[in-house]
Amino acid sequence: MPPVSKARPSNYKTPSTRPLVVYAFDPTAGRGLNNYMTVAVPYEDLQPGPIGSRLAVIDYDASNQCYYEPVNLDHPSVIMSGGLEPSESDPRFHQQMAYAVASETIRRFEFALGRRVKWRRKRGGRADDPVRTKLRIFPHAFQQANAFYDPDLRALCFGYFQASVDDPGDNLPNQTIFTCLSHDIIAHETTHAIIDGVREFFTKSTNVDTPAFHEAFADIVALLQHFSMQDAVLDTIDRTGGLIYKTQLPPEVAPTGDKAAIIPELSEDNPLVGLARQFGQAMGMRSALRSAIGTPPNTHDLDTVTEPHLRGSILVAAVFDAYFTVYIKRTRDLMRIARAGGAVNNQGDIHPDLAQRLAKEASKVAAQFMNICIRAIDYCPPVDITFGEFLRALITADSDLVPEDKLGYRGEIIKAFRLRGIIPEDVCSYSEEALRWCSPEVYGRPVPPCQGLTYDAVEAEADEDAERRARRARSNAAILTNYAKANAAGLGLTYTPNQEPNINAYSFHPIHRIAPDGRLVVDFVVEFLQMKKEPLDPADPQSPEMEFRGGSTVIFNRRGEVRYVVEKGIDSQRRLEAQREFLLQIGHGRPAAAYQDQFKIGGLNFAAIHRGY
Amino acid sequence: MAELTKHTIRIRMYRVGFGDCFLISLPVGDDHAHVLVDCGVHSKGDIGTIKDAVTDALAEAKNKLAIVIATHAHQDHISGFARCDAQFRACEEVGEVWLPWTENPKDKTAARLKAKNLAMVEQLQLHFAASGAAPKAQFALMNIAGNEKALQLLKSGIKNGAVRYLEAGGELKDPGGIPGLNVKVLGPPRDPAFLAKMDPPAGERFLRMNGSQSEAANGVKPFLGKWLFTPGKSGAYPALEAHDRDSLGQLSGDPEALAFALDQAINNTSVVTLFSYQGKFLLLPGDAQYGNWNFWMGQEGSDALLAEVDFYKVGHHGSFNATPKKAVAKMTKGKFAAMASTQNVPWASIPLDKLVTAVEAQSGGFVRSDSIPVKNAPKGPALKKLPPGFSQGTFWFDYEIPC
Repeated sequence: MPPVSKARPSNYKTPSTRPLVVYAFDPTAGRGLNNYMTVAVPYEDLQPGPIGSRLAVIDYDASNQCYYEPVNLDHPSVIMSGGLEPSESDPRFHQQMAYAVASETIRRFEFALGRRVKWRRKRGGRADDPVRTKLRIFPHAFQQANAFYDPDLRALCFGYFQASVDDPGDNLPNQTIFTCLSHDIIAHETTHAIIDGVREFFTKSTNVDTPAFHEAFADIVALLQHFSMQDAVLDTIDRTGGLIYKTQLPPEVAPTGDKAAIIPELSEDNPLVGLARQFGQAMGMRSALRSAIGTPPNTHDLDTVTEPHLRGSILVAAVFDAYFTVYIKRTRDLMRIARAGGAVNNQGDIHPDLAQRLAKEASKVAAQFMNICIRAIDYCPPVDITFGEFLRALITADSDLVPEDKLGYRGEIIKAFRLRGIIPEDVCSYSEEALRWCSPEVYGRPVPPCQGLTYDAVEAEADEDAERRARRARSNAAILTNYAKANAAGLGLTYTPNQEPNINAYSFHPIHRIAPDGRLVVDFVVEFLQMKKEPLDPADPQSPEMEFRGGSTVIFNRRGEVRYVVEKGIDSQRRLEAQREFLLQIGHGRPAAAYQDQFKIGGLNFAAIHRGY
Repeated sequence: MAELTKHTIRIRMYRVGFGDCFLISLPVGDDHAHVLVDCGVHSKGDIGTIKDAVTDALAEAKNKLAIVIATHAHQDHISGFARCDAQFRACEEVGEVWLPWTENPKDKTAARLKAKNLAMVEQLQLHFAASGAAPKAQFALMNIAGNEKALQLLKSGIKNGAVRYLEAGGELKDPGGIPGLNVKVLGPPRDPAFLAKMDPPAGERFLRMNGSQSEAANGVKPFLGKWLFTPGKSGAYPALEAHDRDSLGQLSGDPEALAFALDQAINNTSVVTLFSYQGKFLLLPGDAQYGNWNFWMGQEGSDALLAEVDFYKVGHHGSFNATPKKAVAKMTKGKFAAMASTQNVPWASIPLDKLVTAVEAQSGGFVRSDSIPVKNAPKGPALKKLPPGFSQGTFWFDYEIPC
C-alpha cells in the first residue's frame, strides 16, 4: 500500500465528516430495504486499524491466534469510493463498519450530552501504550456466538461462529456469521461502553433492574437508530401505510390461493422492530431476537421476569410505546389530508410524497426520543438504578430542556411506563410534578450553595492544556468533597469525621441547555459515592463480604445552588436487604454453583449474561 | 421398616448412591397402588445397590406399577431402567409412564433441543479428552450421555403402559387407574421465555485429539490466508500485550461452564408434580433448578400449594441451585417431612450443608439417604434418632403419612 502523506496542504479545508458505507441491518438484508447506507462519521485523523482519537480497532483473533490486515481509511482508493464496499469476506470492511457504527453511536451521545464521551477509568497499563485512552474494538475476537463489552479489557469483543445446521434461518447451514456486521449489535455494545463511562457502577448488579437497565438502554439506542434512518423507515412506511410499529410487513400483493406462491405474496418481519436478526436466526432461534415490541402491556411481568434481556425488554417496550404514540399523534394531520384526497386508511402502497413526509416525522421523533433518553443518564442516581428512577430522570431531564410539553411527549412516556407497572418509589402520583426530582428544600433540609467551582463554558479542543484541566479537576474535587462532608445530610449522604464510609466526589461535568428565553444555561452534575463492606449473609460469621454502595447525584446550577438531589442512601437497610437477596439469586442461577465449592458473585459479568444471545 | 397398611401412604427412599429411586405406595381399598419415581445412579457415585432396590421395589409392588415417573433424562435418575431392563420387562403390569415433554419424539422443539444437547455433549467430551482436567464438569457430562437404552424402555411404556409427556399447567385426575389421585403438573414449562433455560447456547470452538495432538474440532478460519498480518511493522499498530491476549483467550469460551449449563438445562426439564391423595400433598420436583421453580412460584396460588405440602422430596440431591430458600420458608413449619437422596461423591459441594440444615429445621422430620451405612459407600452424617413417622430398612428409609 502506498504511503499516505500526513501533511495536508494547508489551503484545503479539513472536512467535517468522512463518509463510510455500512449495512443498515446486517448481510441477510442484502441490498434491499436500503440496507447499504452511508454514515457520515465525524472526521478525525486515522491510523490503519482504524485507530482514531477514541476508538482503536484491533483485529486480533484469539481463537486462531492471529491478526488480520487493518484497513487504511485514508488510502486514496478508499476515500474516493466513500469507504470499502460491503463484503463479508474482506476483514477490512468489517473493521470499517465496526468503526463507523461505533463512531455514529458516540456522535449521537455527544450530541445529546453536549460533551465528549469518556471511557471508564482504567487502572494500570503501560504509560506509552498508544491505545491507552481509547475504547478497543476486536471485530473478530474469537469463535463464539456472542458479542459483549468487557469493562476490564475496556473493549468491545465481537465473535464469529457457524450458523446452525438444522435451523439456519436465511443463512446457509454452517455459514460463518459475523456479529460485527450487525448494525444493532455494534450500536448495542458501544452503548454499554458509553454508559459505563458515564455511570461506572451500573455494571455492578445490585438489584434486579441494574443489569436489565444496561441491556434495555443499549437496545433502546440500537432500535432508535433504526427509526432515525429515514431511508430504512421509508420501505416499512410504504408497505404498512405508515404503521411503522407493526411486527409483520404485509405482502406486496395479496396471495391468490390459500398460501403464498411467489415472493411478493409472502409477508415478512418488520426489520425495524427486531434486533440482530441474522444472529438470532443463525443460532436456531427463529423468533426475532429480543423483540420487545409487540407484546401487550401488562403490570404483572415486572414481578416475575428477572432475566436481564427479558426484563429489559419491558423498559424498551415502554419507551417505544411512547415513541410510536407520539409519532401517530404528530402524523395524524397528514393522514387526514391523505384521506381527504381519497387514500384508504392503514393500507400499503401510499403516495410517495406522503411516505417521505411520514418517514421524516418518524426519524425526527426517533432522534428526539434518543436525545431524551440519553440526557436522562445525567439525571440518574450514581448506583443501583431502578426502572422507576429512570422514569423520574427522563421526566426531570426533559422538563428542564423543554418546559412546555406542547406535544405531550412526557405525558405519553409516563402513561407507557405506568401501563407496564413501572412504579417509582417515594412518589405520591404519576403526575409530572410528582415525578420530577426534588431539591433539598422540598425534603426540608436546605443546603447552602457550593462556592468556587470552575469550568470552561466551551470545551477545549486541544490537549495542550491537559495539565491545567487536571489541576482544575483536582481543585473541584476537593471543593466538592468538603462541601459534601459539611452538608452530608442535606445531600442524602452519611458522614462522621474519621469514620467509614467516606464521601468521594466521583465525577463532575457541566450540562448545557437553552433556556426558554434563548439564554445558554449551564448546570453541573456531580456524583458523590460512598461504599462499605457488608457480609453477604449476616447470620454466617464466615460469610463472604460484598461491597455495598450508596451516594447521590447532585445537580447544581451556575451559582452552585442545588437544584436536584437524587439519593441512594448508604444507610438504607431496605436496599441492603434487597441487594443481599439479589446476589444470592444470581448465585442460584449459575449452573456451576451446584458443583463448585466456591464461585464468585458480585460484579456484573457481561460475558455470562450475553451467552446465547 | 414399615409394612404397608390400609390407612397410610408410604414413601420409600432407597439409598442408591448419587441418584434417586423412590417408591410411593398409596392405599386403594384393601390393596395398594405403587408409583415408582425415578430409578438411577450416577456411575461415579454408584454404591452397588441399585439392582437390590429394583428387586425390592418390584417385590413390594407385586410386579404391578401403576405409574412410573422418569423426571428427566439424567443417568442418576434413569440408569436403573437400563441396568434392570429385564426385571422391568418382566413386570406383570405397568399402567403409565411419565416423561417430560422435552423427551417427546413427536415434538419438534423437543427434538431440536435434544439433538443439539447430545451433539454438544459429544463435542465437549472430545474436548475434555483432549484438554484433560475438569473432572467436575466431566462427571456432569457423563450424567447426560448414554441414556438411550433406558429412554427406549421408558418410551415403549415398559410393559404396554401408556406414555404421557408432561408439561406445566396440566392436571391429571385418577391417573394410573388410582381413584381419587389428583396430580398437578408444575413443570417443565413450555413457555418460550423459559425455553432458554433448557437450551444452552452453541457456537463455541472445541478441541479433539488427532493422534497425540489436540486440535480444534470445529474451528472456523474466517478469512483467507492472504489477510493475515503481522503487527508492529512500520506504520502498523503494535502487537497486543500478552495479558490482553490471555484475557481474550479466556473470554473466547469456557467449555467447563458450558458443560454445567448443559447439565442444568436437562435438570430444568424435570417433571415437577404435586400429588394429592386423600387430603395429603406430596411435592416431587425431580432435579428442577432455580429457574424452573421460579417459573411456577411466580404463578398465582403457588404459595397456598407450598403451605399444604406434607412431603417434600428434596430436589437435585440437596444442591445449591435446587431448593429456593423462599420455597422452604413457604412450606408450613413442622407440617411436612422431607427426604434427600444424596451423598458427597462425586461432587463434594453436594449436598449443601446450609440448605440441608434449613430444610431440616423447617420440616417436621428429615432424613438423608447417606445416613444409612452401606459397605464401601461414602459415609454421611449418622442419624441420631429417627424422626416421627420414619423407619429404616437395610438400605432404605420409609415415611408413612396416615390418611
